[in-house]
Amino acid sequence: MSAIDFSDPTTIALLTDALTAAGVSGLEISWPGGQLRIVVATGEEARINVSSTAQPVSAAQPVVVKAPMAGHFCSGNSSRSVADRLPRSVSAADTLGFLRVGPILLPLCAGRAGILTRQLAEPDTLVGFGDPLFEIEPQS
Amino acid sequence: MIEILETGPFNTVQDLGRPGYRDIGVSASGAMDPFAVRIGNILVGNDEVAAGIEVQTFPFSLRFDRRTVFAVTGADGDPMLDALKLLPWCAYTAEAGQVLELKHPPTLARAYVSVGGGLDVPSVMGSRSTSLRGSFGGNAGRPLVKGDRLALGNSADFAPVPANGLAVIEPAVALRDVFPDFVDGTLPVRALPGGEHALFPDDGDAFWSQTWKISSRSDRTGYRLSGEPIKPTTSIEMRSHGIVPGVIQVPPGGEPIVQMSDANTAGGYPKIAGVIECDLWRLGQARIGSRIRFVRSTHAEARAIEQAVARYVEDVRTTSEMIKRALKAMA
Repeated sequence: MSAIDFSDPTTIALLTDALTAAGVSGLEISWPGGQLRIVVATGEEARINVSSTAQPVSAAQPVVVKAPMAGHFCSGNSSRSVADRLPRSVSAADTLGFLRVGPILLPLCAGRAGILTRQLAEPDTLVGFGDPLFEIEPQS
Repeated sequence: MIEILETGPFNTVQDLGRPGYRDIGVSASGAMDPFAVRIGNILVGNDEVAAGIEVQTFPFSLRFDRRTVFAVTGADGDPMLDALKLLPWCAYTAEAGQVLELKHPPTLARAYVSVGGGLDVPSVMGSRSTSLRGSFGGNAGRPLVKGDRLALGNSADFAPVPANGLAVIEPAVALRDVFPDFVDGTLPVRALPGGEHALFPDDGDAFWSQTWKISSRSDRTGYRLSGEPIKPTTSIEMRSHGIVPGVIQVPPGGEPIVQMSDANTAGGYPKIAGVIECDLWRLGQARIGSRIRFVRSTHAEARAIEQAVARYVEDVRTTSEMIKRALKAMA
């Protein structure tokens, strides 16, 4: 599971519908990668503006594995104490680390094949929902 | 349904056992590592008493014929789903047709497969455990064989298992302060002096101070230990009396027997000690040929360990439910 992608047209449509239904005139959301502004206009089409502060998406654009919820970040496989070196190639199903909440571990999967280039959080720190944890350069 | 594709001998359906009928000669049965069964069941959203499969001979494989939540707990080693390596102590969702395979674990003895809804075999005297000695319970009272098909109960779970799985810090790691690690390859097993402890010389020193080996004549009924024979100072004739899992008897040969899950319900050998209930799962994970040493414990210590285990189990239950609910709400 990944954080909500606010540039996804489906998400925008959903939010717009929710705003219209609730009678709210608009909203503005900022995140590290960009900004979304929805203004619900009465009697005419809604105006939607998504701007990205990041590089335009291309095939080589690194993909960020984000925290699915708040928890303590554990890198590698805790049960095997693997000190994996970076960069290294990973497959989509590889478990890169875990989010620990009490005795529970939420596996963090690569989600796509590529080169794992960076680990963006320090081991055993508390991370929040959507915080970037790993960066992967996708390979076709 | 799940279908057994490959199995060794003596793999059975087990739950937490059938206590309460020893007076009429019915062994309690149940998993040799009940801790693993409880955690596996919680991970897949079951009541902790749901029945799963105890795998003690490998390789073992089964096929799911519908989408099923499952977890493999207990033994170490990575289960495989089709060609994909999974984590142990982690709940996943298998799709219809996928095959789960368990290879021989690197160090431990028994793996447990828990499935969402539990195995829907008939409950006999309050349990779905297989009684191999009585040939009842579980899957027609016998070990699983290739081609067996087992029905699954309906899962009452409210929230799905996260797409990447839901794992737990396994008991041996989470409770490492409570369950001491191997010392020079020897598993410390805590025990209390038994009814006839006083019959053995030097306060049972020969029993407590030596390292015992789990002999090949060991199974779910009991572990026969190999070592320097121990003898009571006087030989006594005793009537058979009730015994339970954990009781350590000393037969005339002097090599102790530890009663395990399929324990006899009565016996007449002198009892030198009894393994505390909370350490039985570790003995259940000890392989034939491995070494153990008994550590003299107290009732207070046994109680403290029980409380630590209860806290951990409760923590796993509430936290896993909270996480599943949170992820469902954000999905």
